[in-house]
Amino acid sequence: MSIDILVQVLLSGLLLGGIYALVAFGLSLVYGVANILNIAHGTLLAISGVVASLIFAATGWNPILIIPLLVLPVFLFGYLFHAALLRPLASRGKHDETIGTVLITVGSLIMMSDITGVVAGTNQQNIPVRSEILEFGDVIVPLTQVWILAGIIGLTIILHLYLKYAWFGRAVRAVTQDPLGATICGVNGPRAKALTFAGGSGLVAIAGVLYAMIYPVDPYMGFSLTVRAFTIIIIGGIGNLAGAMIAGIMLGVAESFTAFLWAPKWAPAISVVLLLIILVLFPRGLALWKRA
Amino acid sequence: MSLLNVTNLAVAHGPLQALWDISLKIEPGERIGLLGANGAGKSTTLGAIVGYYPTMGGRIEFDGCDITSDPVPSRLARGIGLVPEGRRLFTDMSVRENLEMGAYLAQPRKQLAQSLAQVYAMFPVLQTKSAQAAGTLSGGQQQMVAIGRALMSRPRCLLLDEPFIGVAPIIVQEVMAALRDIAQQGITILLVEQNTHRALEFVDRAYVIENGRSVLEGTRDQLLNDKSFGAKFLGLD
Amino acid sequence: MSSSRPVAFAGIAAFAAALGVLPIVAGPYPVSFAFILLITFVIAQSWDWVNGQMGYLNLGHYAFYGIGAYAFCLLLIRGVPLAPSFAAAIVVAALAAFILSFPLFRLKGDYFAFGTLTIVPLCELLASNLTEITKGSEGVTLPPNYVLIPAYYMAAVLVVLTLATTWWLMGSRFGYAIRAIRNDEQVAEVCGIRLFPVKVLTLGLSAMFAGLAGAIQAWQFSFIDPYTMFNLSVALVPIAAALLGGSGLLLGPLIGVILLSSLQQVLLVKLSMLQGAVYGLVIVVIGRFLPGGLLRWRVIANNKRLAWLARESHFEGAPAMAAGDHAALPLRAPDLDKSKVVLRCEAATMAFGGNVAVREVSIDVRQGEIVGLVGPNGSGKTTLFNLISGIYRPKGGRIIVDGQDISGLRADEIACLGIGRTYQIPRPFNELTVRECIAIGRSFGRGAVPLREAMQSAEAFARFVGLGAQIETRADKLSLQQKKALELARALAGEPKLLLVDEVASGLSINEIRTFVEHIREIRDRYGITVIWVEHIFSALARVVDRLVVLDSGSVIADAPLQEAVKDERVLATYLGHSNEKDARKEKRA
Repeated sequence: MSIDILVQVLLSGLLLGGIYALVAFGLSLVYGVANILNIAHGTLLAISGVVASLIFAATGWNPILIIPLLVLPVFLFGYLFHAALLRPLASRGKHDETIGTVLITVGSLIMMSDITGVVAGTNQQNIPVRSEILEFGDVIVPLTQVWILAGIIGLTIILHLYLKYAWFGRAVRAVTQDPLGATICGVNGPRAKALTFAGGSGLVAIAGVLYAMIYPVDPYMGFSLTVRAFTIIIIGGIGNLAGAMIAGIMLGVAESFTAFLWAPKWAPAISVVLLLIILVLFPRGLALWKRA
Repeated sequence: MSLLNVTNLAVAHGPLQALWDISLKIEPGERIGLLGANGAGKSTTLGAIVGYYPTMGGRIEFDGCDITSDPVPSRLARGIGLVPEGRRLFTDMSVRENLEMGAYLAQPRKQLAQSLAQVYAMFPVLQTKSAQAAGTLSGGQQQMVAIGRALMSRPRCLLLDEPFIGVAPIIVQEVMAALRDIAQQGITILLVEQNTHRALEFVDRAYVIENGRSVLEGTRDQLLNDKSFGAKFLGLD
Repeated sequence: MSSSRPVAFAGIAAFAAALGVLPIVAGPYPVSFAFILLITFVIAQSWDWVNGQMGYLNLGHYAFYGIGAYAFCLLLIRGVPLAPSFAAAIVVAALAAFILSFPLFRLKGDYFAFGTLTIVPLCELLASNLTEITKGSEGVTLPPNYVLIPAYYMAAVLVVLTLATTWWLMGSRFGYAIRAIRNDEQVAEVCGIRLFPVKVLTLGLSAMFAGLAGAIQAWQFSFIDPYTMFNLSVALVPIAAALLGGSGLLLGPLIGVILLSSLQQVLLVKLSMLQGAVYGLVIVVIGRFLPGGLLRWRVIANNKRLAWLARESHFEGAPAMAAGDHAALPLRAPDLDKSKVVLRCEAATMAFGGNVAVREVSIDVRQGEIVGLVGPNGSGKTTLFNLISGIYRPKGGRIIVDGQDISGLRADEIACLGIGRTYQIPRPFNELTVRECIAIGRSFGRGAVPLREAMQSAEAFARFVGLGAQIETRADKLSLQQKKALELARALAGEPKLLLVDEVASGLSINEIRTFVEHIREIRDRYGITVIWVEHIFSALARVVDRLVVLDSGSVIADAPLQEAVKDERVLATYLGHSNEKDARKEKRA
């Protein structure tokens, strides 16, 4: 294998991993703050991607314009979804709450995929942006991909700074680490949960647009992304952005190389197999179990 | 007018009733102890006063206003602060971030710098460790952060739930001195403490609760001379 | 269960007869609908053994159905006869469950649910990608054969077996082990139940039934492909059905399956699209409003005619003893050798992160002693109990019971060696009755008697602690004091040599404390059980203990006979709270 192909595969892995990390951020924040394992999280990405592709096909607008157009409704949808369906579960017992959460998120996953499939068709779609090509010797990189990578890095930095310095960002971290401690500081727990759920949904909508600019999307692909995001937070730790970024990139690169060296059809298996292996080898060693 | 007036408070955790009949009356500037065995309902009483346990019956008044059904933030805004059992720090956040979280509400946020300076003056060791993650501190230092965090909201009444658990004996006196200091600033203190002698060293007056009911109230001297109290809590037979 | 036994037999017999007659009196459409119903029921009910009985939400159960179907079809087209192909479906599904148990049972709560959810997509991937074996996405076609009637009868037999297994689980020792796990895994282990094999067997059992159901349906379908066998939205239908009816109840899955499958038929006829969306909606509505299921709905539970549907299954036995009888406990009283060390801790140490909770604790406890363990809150008393009973593994030092080093053993092994414990905050098996809670302790601990005998002898233990009148009451309906009494009865039922009692007296009245002290004395004097008692109420301890061990900040600061210990300055300072703390500390440093 020549070095230029190696770099190419590595780059596409980086890109894929960056998007996975974005998906994982939302899932991880929502789990940390609200204790909700949102199984429909990836489906929201798929649907955002499909909708963005349709808007692009109809208008030809720059995808950067489509992002704010999508994020706001998805943010609102997330807020209402949490308020109407998930928040009332908190008053139930632990086992009922788990079952309720799983049923509601799984049921919504099926509903959302099916409705989108009927409305928008089940075909794969994408945002076919024409792009200039950058050439570094034999390595060819489309300019769009560079921009997307920059966007992901920028978004991660903004998110990091927000959680570190903004009052509400700190409240989110506080609730993750000790809900009761946050309450007695004056943080409104239910509101923080709903807003985080909405924020996580908005974040995944952004990821959906970026994803559709590189890969095809369809209404039913979402769950496999949720599985990847879950694998990433198991490796990287709940509420740990840096950990999620590193784990996401590891997974993306691993998938790229699997697809290239072996066969693309095996790439989706990596995350599940990785997950199962980690569970066997590190039953206690990962950040996840410290909280539980 | 009393600062905190709790009458016939009853609280349940789900199907289990934890408090049946608690009444406390605390004047501004007093140091009050809340004594009782494990499971008697001391922590639940504090939790109900600050508002994270909903009340089933009874009434809580603060500074003349009925706050029985107010949410936690509005009670904090009125001037109630809590140092909870087990400290409840944000262990991965820095000492300074922990303290600043204490000033989360709008009013205290405006006096952030001033409050922070006061807490650092009271516990100088926290200033030297301000960038360190709270979870890496010793038990005593963590307790100082918890007390400091509660002070950041500039409370008029501070509720402390067993602040000496996990604090090395050498540090106990230091924390105790800080509490005296806080009381001297005119902040009313309600102290839950397992060690009855230690509690009586500090408070002016104390309430004893048993099985979720207030059963005895008296000044330090009254309690020290009470026979049944002595047998139960002072180890005198 | 004795009184409901004939009723249950009659019910199953009538049900079986109705199933047998159906194909004779009805045409192919009702039969094929009934067939789907039967298969769905087997999947739903076998899933519910893991969820409703054991408390593990397995969202990957449908994978076993697909695995069974694949194993069956692949063997059949390669010329293997029918019977061995069916047998292979069962074996392969069980094998898959066995292998998956290792990663999956490392997870708890929603993590377990999520982990299992990845299995169905993984299987789909394998089925489509391993084209050499599975023929990939084009699927496997069996030679055309009209087998609806034999497949129906096979499914009917399987359903009867499923019902019988469910009913067996509700009343058997194994079933109680599963339900103990559902209610409180740690306490189940402390009772002597070895968790992992029980979990593996339960998952394996449920996989075998689902695998066979898959094989039968594939036989009737005569075609399978990865998409239909491992379709996530189809996979959740049996689960939704069981939850709709009422997970964990005898009739819950059955009623749920009948309702949901009927809905499915209606949807198929009436709707040409959006069937998935309607399904999804139904699942969301169940999750939002009825996570306990239809049968636990107030309207049904409070209706006199329908309440029997939602009946919980508990052991019922005629009282074996007359009221007020204070019979002897069925425990063997060993000869006491007061010089023999039952428990020896050698520099036992436990730390959580940097926080050392128990620091090089060394104590000896001799047979027949009652040792009081005291110290301020947070001094490490409960952590020491957790070390001795095997909840934690010591970070350093050794713990020796009767000469055997137990530091590396599991909690259930330690329980079977004869160490019993109670919890400071009572942890009874909430959904079980007092009798059942005690019987679990009796049936799995050191005594390990058969379940039936344990259920009967439970009464003596219940009376001993004053719960004679509450013997058939669900544990979550007890008051705090009664729950504490139940803790003691449950621990005693395991026939311990050494009993660890964690704070029983707080919250009791003076008279209740006296009674309790007498219990402790009797446990030692009459049954030779050594006791370590953690207690804050000193006057209670002072009545009965021989020796006092005082902990402070994880270290032993005194270990002496009661009279000496109460004179020790350090003890007075740290535990009794002597006012002269400074002197005491000087002494400590010196």
